[in-house]
Amino acid sequence: MVRFILKRLGLALITLWLLSVIVFALGQVLPSDPARSILGPLAAPSAVRALDHQLGVDKPVLTQYWNWITNFPGTSNQYQAPIGPILTSALGRSLKLAIFALIILVPLGIVGGVISALNAGKPIDRTISVVGQSMLTVPEFVSGIILLVVFAVELGWLPVTATAPPGSSFLTQLKYLILPVIPLVMVLFGYIARMARVGTIEALDSDYARTATLKGLPRGVMIRRHVLRNSLMPTITVIATQTGYLIGGLLVVEVLFRYNGVGELTYNASIQHDIPMLEACVLTIGVVYMVVTLVADITFSLLNPRIRLKAAE
Amino acid sequence: MSELDRLRSGRTELENHYIDELVSGNLSRRDFLRRGSMIGMSAPLLGAILAACGSSSKTTAASGTTGTSSAPATKGGTLRIGAVTPAAAINPLTISDAGGLLMLNQTGEFLIFDSNLKLQLQPMLALSWSPNTDGSVWTFKLRPGVKFSNGAPMTADDVVYTFQQLSDPKNASNALSAFVGVLTPSGVKKVDSTTVAFNLEAPNGNFPYLVSSDNYNAIIVPNGSDYGKWQSTFIGTGAFKLGSYTQNVGATFVPNPNYWGTKPLLDSTSFKFYMSQAPMILGLQGNDVDVIAQFTPAGAAAILNSPSYKIISLKSANHRELSMRNDQAPFTDARVRQAVAYTLDRPGAVAALLSGKGTVANDYPFGPRYPSTDTSVPQRTQNIPMAKQLLAAAGHPNGFSTTMNSEIYQEIPQLAQVIQQDAAKAGINIKLNITDQTLYYGKSTFGNSPWLDGTMSLVDYGDRGVPNVYLTAPLTSAGTWNAARFHNKEFDGLVKQYVAALDLQAQKQVAGKIQRLLLAETPVVYPYWIDGLTASTPNVGGLNPTSIAQLYLNTAYKSA
Amino acid sequence: MSIVDIPVEDAGVLAAGRREIRRDVFRELLRSPTFIVGVIVLSIWIICAIFGAAIAPHSPYAQNLEEINKAPSSAHLFGTDQLGRDMLSRVIVGVRDVMIIAPLATLLGTVLGTAIGLLMGYFRGAVDDVLGRFVEAFLAIPVVVLGVIALPTLGRSNLVLIIVIGLVFTPLIARTVRAAVLLERELDYVAAARLRGERAPYIMFVEILPNVFAPIMVEFTVRLAYAIYAILTLTFLGLGVQPPSPDWGLDIAANYGVVPAGYWWEVLFDAIAIATLVVSITLISDSVQGALEG
Repeated sequence: MVRFILKRLGLALITLWLLSVIVFALGQVLPSDPARSILGPLAAPSAVRALDHQLGVDKPVLTQYWNWITNFPGTSNQYQAPIGPILTSALGRSLKLAIFALIILVPLGIVGGVISALNAGKPIDRTISVVGQSMLTVPEFVSGIILLVVFAVELGWLPVTATAPPGSSFLTQLKYLILPVIPLVMVLFGYIARMARVGTIEALDSDYARTATLKGLPRGVMIRRHVLRNSLMPTITVIATQTGYLIGGLLVVEVLFRYNGVGELTYNASIQHDIPMLEACVLTIGVVYMVVTLVADITFSLLNPRIRLKAAE
Repeated sequence: MSELDRLRSGRTELENHYIDELVSGNLSRRDFLRRGSMIGMSAPLLGAILAACGSSSKTTAASGTTGTSSAPATKGGTLRIGAVTPAAAINPLTISDAGGLLMLNQTGEFLIFDSNLKLQLQPMLALSWSPNTDGSVWTFKLRPGVKFSNGAPMTADDVVYTFQQLSDPKNASNALSAFVGVLTPSGVKKVDSTTVAFNLEAPNGNFPYLVSSDNYNAIIVPNGSDYGKWQSTFIGTGAFKLGSYTQNVGATFVPNPNYWGTKPLLDSTSFKFYMSQAPMILGLQGNDVDVIAQFTPAGAAAILNSPSYKIISLKSANHRELSMRNDQAPFTDARVRQAVAYTLDRPGAVAALLSGKGTVANDYPFGPRYPSTDTSVPQRTQNIPMAKQLLAAAGHPNGFSTTMNSEIYQEIPQLAQVIQQDAAKAGINIKLNITDQTLYYGKSTFGNSPWLDGTMSLVDYGDRGVPNVYLTAPLTSAGTWNAARFHNKEFDGLVKQYVAALDLQAQKQVAGKIQRLLLAETPVVYPYWIDGLTASTPNVGGLNPTSIAQLYLNTAYKSA
Repeated sequence: MSIVDIPVEDAGVLAAGRREIRRDVFRELLRSPTFIVGVIVLSIWIICAIFGAAIAPHSPYAQNLEEINKAPSSAHLFGTDQLGRDMLSRVIVGVRDVMIIAPLATLLGTVLGTAIGLLMGYFRGAVDDVLGRFVEAFLAIPVVVLGVIALPTLGRSNLVLIIVIGLVFTPLIARTVRAAVLLERELDYVAAARLRGERAPYIMFVEILPNVFAPIMVEFTVRLAYAIYAILTLTFLGLGVQPPSPDWGLDIAANYGVVPAGYWWEVLFDAIAIATLVVSITLISDSVQGALEG
């Protein structure tokens, strides 16, 4: 088992290195230059050249790559400050938002899926399916704008931004996060519910479940003890694969609701052409995604006896 | 001896000249106040002269305030202000964006304050100033007893250091756009601990504006300070000092205990940064902030048309320039350039794009904001038949095709489309190439910048207290922002005359010549001037905004 | 490559094996109401994309500065926007950019993903491992994030959009194709081909490819909806299609600030249009998948 995990870890590290190369390459293929971004569009060209030289822009690409890796995360061109602290606090905030979204999304999705499965073919099943599918297709910025305008501006029930004033209590912070969380939940609900539905139907259909029912086990008990556990397994892995969509949605929602998470940081760095910050953010996002996938992988293998046994060979 | 005669004695020749102009009616009360304050006449003196001339000494506000009336002033509270995210680190030398310069004036102060509300120059850190006979040396007497927020006293050494840094080409300061050709570091001299003299490269009648709040980088900092570290201290002499500053998030300020003037009414101010205008406006409506520091009319219909917000609108010189490459066919022919100008429906653009918060511009950089403008020059209006005629005479009876480069900034993409539509009515087919600002500006040098190289190019120009920069940089033969490649010796000569003219009448005369020349040549089309807008909830008052996006909060208050 | 790399949704399709895409599949599709509805709606939008200029009552670019921000009326069924342009015409013509870019991007991703998936699945071993690392690296970057870093640097053109989205889809599609190929290569006809002495490219593209066409088609339709979402989101963020295009995402970005002023029509119709387009494609992809699962 340990060898299995180590092998996965090793592969992940190689992928991580590849990711860094790709991100760095993207950052290099650009027409603007860092000194120009810092000094602004109207600064004298001689000053720009001097600063560029200072920043090491004219060094060979490999040297720049090495500098970047060893000095990671480096200094932001725009803020003239170390990226590290800015990035970590932004990451923390994004995590809060993401976890809040997951806490609502997962139970909602599972419950929706199970209910669908238990009533397969009946109207409630179709309704949940259709609702899930339609919400899935509405981009976060569309639902976000509608929610913002209706609930925050017109009705005034909820705050217009997601950033609570500093020093707010935990509950107040949650209140500020309600509106931004909804588009995220909407987009991912359909998929989770569908997975849970499929998993539940398979579990209900399984020999074990049939036998248990024949033997007289109450339906509710059987569902709780057997079905749920088996439908949870694919759902967990599916959440991992949905991380990519979640992060993408986070970016849009953070920008719309003025929330200083890693999504907004990335977007801002992109608009301001702050390449060091942009590279650091994208690489971090990639790492987060890989970590989540890795953990899901390992969890799934641990839970799935077939894979566990095979790996032990 | 009449009261006026008494006031006249002891005045300089220039000051007497202005009094003559006032008496003869050539100078309006407002312009007299402006010009007089600019050459250093004190407010009480100006008021006395006006009173002696039989007119009231009330200064007329150059602004309009619409919406509900102010609530009475109350002490205390925290004012929340929404502003656009500063684009870079807060370094007074290099700041060039609206969000950044707004931060500078919270704790920093200038020698002179250019008040948009009162349309005159007011003493700030300099109590008085005067030129020598030809305007090549300006001497400033500093206000005594001023301290920085850390308790250190402000002296001439600090002022000298500040201006030497600003005018030094090595520092690549944004202020160089004002100082190049005007002031060099060696020209800044300390006379004594409270007097500083500026020896200029050439006589300049508008120099006080260049060291006023108009030159938004020119806040006075302590002698020897490291500009790169200014963001961590925000050291300055202003009414507020730094509470905290967080990039991309916001900033807070608290009253400065060492301030030389009246203590602010507020307990603190809190700025929130927004990446663009739409969420900022929603922030005001959603009670996330009490004030929006500056916004553009485009997309602000929600608050402009609502009676529940107070809007302060200032006449500003904020404008857009549509340059045409005078060295590229078909724009080598002035008739073609004029034709483009004649297709534009300027009042329509002001109404639709600015919700009426602006003024129509003529095809030169003189406008209602500047008293030196010669208002007898007729305003160009839309005239499609005339445009077609001119095109035919120039050899393009069926119009022609061309491209326009522009940027994604405020209402400019829509303005580009309006221009495109209007030009099509005369058969001119414009293809738009609109990119984001960084790509559009490029390296800001000829040959490396869509802005400067485009056959047609539509760019933004921020507000300035005097039109000097608009005349020199984009239009003179040696101008570094000359996107139109306009090389006209007569024009260059006239601009030199204008810059050197100390006297308003002389300036007006030269301005008239410049205006007529530019109308005939039309290297650049100027669609409109945009008002500077600030919005707040009705319970806020005492705001002191300027048209270049500064906002002074010394007298601001927020009632419950 | 991760063991759990086959999304549960595709497992059914693979399990169906090599179902031929022939008349029986088509017949089943034509009987499915979701498919019909999806095709009808999609066709409407395709017609708008091709003939938009002819169908639209006005030019989507025609400004009328006297008629700005007018509510829906008989003259302007969807109202006018901030420059007095007819919203109905803008909605009709605004679908074009998305309709061109989305299929092209998805096609690019499908072609590349299929090629890579074939290589990985057939050769396995070192090829699989190396390519697998690239695939995983790209998988780690969500499309919006890749757009955010690529578009400002490479320029905001339709071509860059197509490449960016295509590249993001490649690993997703490669994953599915690889899984399908892994199953296929164990079958008799592959062994027979090898015995005959056929070379690898022939086996991959002539023997195996036609038999994995089913999951590829499903992938294409699923990714198409996602491509539309990505284009709209990137355009909303200012990184995609450029003004003065009447693209829906652009219009929403430009107009959402005035919705509180009461000008709801300047955003709502674009939003509904987006929803109908994406739903129609989802319905189609769902029914195709259902039909292929048998």
